[in-house]
Amino acid sequence: MGTEHRDPVTGRMTTGHEWNGIEELNTPVPRFVLFFLAVTTLFAIIYWIFMPAWPLFSTYTKGILGFDQREVVTRQVQEAAAARAGWMDKIANKSFAEIAGDEALMRHVRETGPTLFADNCAVCHGVKGTGGPGFPNLTAGAWLWGGDPETIAQTIRAGINSTDGGTRVSQMLAFGRDGILTSDQVNSVAAYVRSLSGQPLNASEQARLPAGKEVFKANCVSCHGENGKGIRDVGAPDLTDPHWIYGGDAQSVYTTIYGGRQGHMPHWQGRLSPADIKLLTLYVGTLGQDGSLGKDGSLGKDASLGKDASLGQDASLAEDASLGKNGTGGGGKP
Amino acid sequence: MPNFHRKLERSAIGFVLAIVGVSAIGGFVEIAPLFTIHETVEQAPDMRVYTPLEVAGRNIYIREGCYACHSQMIRTLRDEVERYGPFSLAVESQYDHPMLWGSKRTGPDLARVGGKYSDAWQVAHLINPRDVVPQSVMPRYAWLKRNGLKTDDLGLHLAAQRRVGVPYTDDMIANAGADAYGQANPDSPYASGVTARYGEATNVRAFDGSAGRLTEMDALVAYLQVLGRLTDAAQKTAAAQE
Amino acid sequence: MVSGLTVSERRLALVIAGLIAVCGLAMAIVGRNDLIGAHGFIVLAFSLGVIALVATRYLDPEPPEDRLSQYYDDPTKAGIVLAMIWAVIGMFFGVWVAALLAWPDLTFDAAWASFGRLRPVHTSGVIFGFGGNALIATSLHVLQRTSRARLPDQFSPWFVLIGYNLFCVLAASGYFMGVTQSKEYAEPEWYADLWLVIVWVVYFLIYIRTLQRRKEPHIYVANWYYMAFILVVAILHIVNNLAVPVSLGHAKSYSLFSGVQDAMTQWWYGHNAVAFFLTAGFLGMMYYYLPKRAGRPIFSYRLSIISFWGITFMYMWAGSHHLHYTALPQWVQTLGMTFSIVLLVPSWASAGNALATLNGAWHKVRDDATLRFMMVAAVFYGLSTFEGSFMAIRAVNSLSHYTDWTIGHVHAGALGWVAMITFGSLYALVPWMWKQERIYSPALVEVHFWLALIGTIIYVFAMWNSGIIQGLMWRTYNDSGTLAYSFIDSLVAMRPYYIARTVGGLFFFAGAVVASYNIWMTIRMSRRAEAAGRDTVDVPASAALVPGE
Ligand code: HEC
Ligand code: HEC
Ligand code: HEC
Ligand code: HEM
Ligand code: HEM
Ligand SMILES: [Ca+2]
Ligand SMILES: [Ca+2]
Ligand SMILES: [Cu+2]
Repeated sequence: MGTEHRDPVTGRMTTGHEWNGIEELNTPVPRFVLFFLAVTTLFAIIYWIFMPAWPLFSTYTKGILGFDQREVVTRQVQEAAAARAGWMDKIANKSFAEIAGDEALMRHVRETGPTLFADNCAVCHGVKGTGGPGFPNLTAGAWLWGGDPETIAQTIRAGINSTDGGTRVSQMLAFGRDGILTSDQVNSVAAYVRSLSGQPLNASEQARLPAGKEVFKANCVSCHGENGKGIRDVGAPDLTDPHWIYGGDAQSVYTTIYGGRQGHMPHWQGRLSPADIKLLTLYVGTLGQDGSLGKDGSLGKDASLGKDASLGQDASLAEDASLGKNGTGGGGKP
Repeated sequence: MPNFHRKLERSAIGFVLAIVGVSAIGGFVEIAPLFTIHETVEQAPDMRVYTPLEVAGRNIYIREGCYACHSQMIRTLRDEVERYGPFSLAVESQYDHPMLWGSKRTGPDLARVGGKYSDAWQVAHLINPRDVVPQSVMPRYAWLKRNGLKTDDLGLHLAAQRRVGVPYTDDMIANAGADAYGQANPDSPYASGVTARYGEATNVRAFDGSAGRLTEMDALVAYLQVLGRLTDAAQKTAAAQE
Repeated sequence: MVSGLTVSERRLALVIAGLIAVCGLAMAIVGRNDLIGAHGFIVLAFSLGVIALVATRYLDPEPPEDRLSQYYDDPTKAGIVLAMIWAVIGMFFGVWVAALLAWPDLTFDAAWASFGRLRPVHTSGVIFGFGGNALIATSLHVLQRTSRARLPDQFSPWFVLIGYNLFCVLAASGYFMGVTQSKEYAEPEWYADLWLVIVWVVYFLIYIRTLQRRKEPHIYVANWYYMAFILVVAILHIVNNLAVPVSLGHAKSYSLFSGVQDAMTQWWYGHNAVAFFLTAGFLGMMYYYLPKRAGRPIFSYRLSIISFWGITFMYMWAGSHHLHYTALPQWVQTLGMTFSIVLLVPSWASAGNALATLNGAWHKVRDDATLRFMMVAAVFYGLSTFEGSFMAIRAVNSLSHYTDWTIGHVHAGALGWVAMITFGSLYALVPWMWKQERIYSPALVEVHFWLALIGTIIYVFAMWNSGIIQGLMWRTYNDSGTLAYSFIDSLVAMRPYYIARTVGGLFFFAGAVVASYNIWMTIRMSRRAEAAGRDTVDVPASAALVPGE
């Protein structure tokens, strides 16, 4: 136990207590501490008066501002929508051709598209829209259902094999697993399919080509067409181009034919607004084409290509589509 | 004050009581009224409970610590509403014991992820996120597809939840295991019971891509696909205020 | 250590450990189809280990009677060693977890090594393992010295220390296996929670019994804080962990609360775990070791009163600042925010009180790395509480919440304050406990100080940057009035900071390893001196103890 004494350094008295050598000074609480306590408390009280604050059994004090975070955010979202309405409404109401021809509107598309696409579509189609195993490349022009904007918009709205009532439906049968074809036949037709896109084949694959061609004629043309160029009405892909959803190597092609495929693209109506869906359609249109979109008022080269169905050229288009990947265009942010 | 305090300091029991008294006030004033003020939790008559498979999936979500990176709470802020969808309501986690609102977004919010992506994507993503999203830092969860799901005790899980207030019926508890199987096997005879008990809106699919064996992947994907879809209340609020 | 116990205490230890072993066996049998069974085996093995330890020394001679005239410090010594072991474990996992966000495939495709499971191993390892053991060890030391009374018995402190570490082992091993309640900082399941309640009650009883028998008329400030830590953590723990287990044979339980009430209860708990575990407890530590090391009286007794009661009262209102803009009613958010702001005053009052106590001892701060640890801790305490009050403002929180800014704030507090005050206190305490003139190597303390300071600064700056960038990217709009950046954009932007944070963490971790080595060598120094029959330096305080207590 200690006694009160003066601390030589500070000149303050101690309290007269001592714990194993520790003493305390009896320094009064500094004024500014009390001042800050008063200021912060006053702030709190004022805040309580204006804002919802204190509970009262079955209700609470609402504050004289009548502030409600839900109303505030709803209003902010509405105001933001109103501020965007100038161009958003145009996108919602004009035709694709009109929008594509309007450079000012397309600027908004290129500005808004990347984030919207990256937050909703990129997990499947990639940030640049180039797809990945199981998810189609949207920059290649190798469309399953067609590359004109209305078709794309419909795909985004209702999805493919989705839970939406109006969904597009497509299915590649499981020829091997369901016993429609023998394993030998699957191998043969796989070799034939790979030959369609001009892939180098090994000797045993070469030998299988005639048989494969027969199997193809008997089983595949109904969906993929006479010469394997696909039929867009059923969403069956072109097998002659170098673009693959599931892979064009022997193993992947075999797996596809053996086990079938049914890709699932979710529907976006209900989650995204109609204007957002249109905007995404236009943005997807810009992806493969380094921004050349819209000059001639159409959705760019691809849309016109689709019309004359000259699919051979389509593949070459993909080559310059790779420009997009290199970052020279593709609508990505600079 | 110092004099009063000098006295207090001399009594250990007094000090203990003072600490308990002073510290108890804040929590009491903030927590108790949440049970008595009715507008705290909105009314949502269409609110449904998790199916047994979704409960199992939720438990896997907890087990793997997904909540360490993902929130399930869209705040009342413009950017969150515009990015993730209508702000979350209290009623949406009414049956969440415990809630999984989260406190960190290393990954995106998941409150409205149900139905946003396909089952196949969810499976591919969980097996290796970088297969589908090269930029991702999320761990792989490949073992979920390998591990069979334990269903024999799901009835006990539902019963325990009923004890804390989730309105599961006897029928639901008795059929929990079968319902879990049926929900992931649409062609099995058990599937119809799931929609009968849990409503037509219930997803009945082979979530992990293959029917038959029930895996932890089935359960987790079933849970992810129902996030934000137990009630339409939030969508309605958003629409009504538009 | 066993030889310090009387034969009847040894017998009691065997009986209790035997009972726990039986509980473990029961868990293993009833829960054989569940993970609780694995925990049963861990409990069984743990208690058998304790039994073996006691049994092999059971026949040692009884300790001399004069032990009662000295403080009982064996549990403190063991607690220091345990704290350092947990520090190395917890921080090792911290570095790993940090690395996972830069190199996500460092998991070897193993479930136990995935981010979501390792992260709570880190948080519990450092908070409960390192922090908790340090608090128990120092509190028992401070309690005796400032009460001038011996601990009431020799068994219960061991029960608390070993029982608490059993809880920590159950927690960490549970996360690896996937046993968790998901409630942050309260993740362990119902049976571990129940066990902690028992341990905690005994801890409280030790405290109150010793205080009752104190020779000082007044209770010292450090004990106010330690008491608040023990009491409030008990209240928080019991309420937040109320849950219904699936069955006695299941590890899984369902929380009594749901949705919004659960969120409020959880963050009332979570925030006050910060307040009373990571703040009040360590303030208790600071209030003893800092003036002791500086050789200065506490700057102001009156300021101590204001800050203690301010902290005890106001922290309990602040939890809702973790739930701004959420589905929690706004009135609660208001209370959380306003109280958090007022809370800054008592927080800074205690930080200021500590720093002003150093007046007249600044030359020591310059020369003595141990004291410098404590000084820097007080500065970081002031900094992180300022930051906390700032982040509690709704508008600020709208940006900071969910981002790395929170993580930066956490580690400004955790590394800068909690860990630094602990290291400083342990460096002061270790030579006293092992009766050495000084720590094995003051130079290594100096090295540790700089490693810790540099590590903290790198970590905290990296997270401030990443957090604010993240928050801004999420809410930035372009000229069209739409979101400028996607989530993936923000993810890509984080990578350099995650790498930097890992580097900072490595520094800090290296410091902890150096500290462990230094402390270990001090213990060996003491052993060697004892073996050589040399006199060891006695703790200056023990002379004051009245024998026979
Ligand atoms: C869950 C994964 C997923 C997400 C998310 C997704 N898609 Fe798709 N998308 C697909 C799959 C799979 C296909 C191909 C379906 C098939 O194989 O038949 C597809 C096809 C398409 C097509 C049709 C391609 C064609 O050749 O006709 C367009 C256009 C498209 N997606 C655009 C989008 C847009 C825009 C978004 C975002 C709003 C989006 N997708 C989000 C998976 C996804
Ligand atoms: C019922 C219509 C239908 C028939 C018959 C059909 N296919 Fe398909 N095929 C499709 C559809 C639809 C897809 C696209 C599936 C998807 O994207 O998920 C497809 C995809 C493919 C693919 C994958 C292309 C890629 O990009 O990865 C290959 C290869 C293929 N079919 C080969 C065949 C062969 C060989 C046959 C005959 C043995 C055949 N298909 C018969 C509808 C059919
Ligand atoms: C290390 C942190 C981390 C953990 C742990 C984690 N995730 Fe993720 N998650 C991410 C990141 C980052 C993304 C965004 C990139 C991506 O899509 O992979 C993400 C994306 C997702 C998405 C897509 C969300 C969207 O809207 O794009 C889902 C669904 C998801 N995670 C589910 C889970 C589940 C389920 C678990 C636990 C089994 C989990 N995550 C664990 C970090 C994590
Ligand atoms: C070697 C030093 C350390 C490193 C590298 C480290 C790293 C990390 C990492 C990477 C996280 C996860 C962050 C996230 O999810 O984004 C984390 C969380 C956390 N760490 Fe540490 N840590 C260290 C030391 C400590 C110490 C000493 C403490 C406490 C005394 C601590 C307490 C925490 C807490 C409480 C969290 C959870 C934060 C939250 O949920 O907001 N850490 N740490
Ligand atoms: C006046 C004192 C303090 C106040 C008002 C305060 C306030 C806050 C706020 C506002 C958050 C962010 C909540 C969110 O947005 O999710 C937070 C998080 C956190 N703080 Fe503090 N803080 C204070 C002091 C401290 C100290 C000293 C520590 C010591 C380590 C600390 C540890 C933490 C931790 C661990 C979290 C993360 C909680 C989580 O997991 O989300 N805080 N604090
Ligand atoms: Ca957290
Ligand atoms: Ca717990
Ligand atoms: Cu807090």
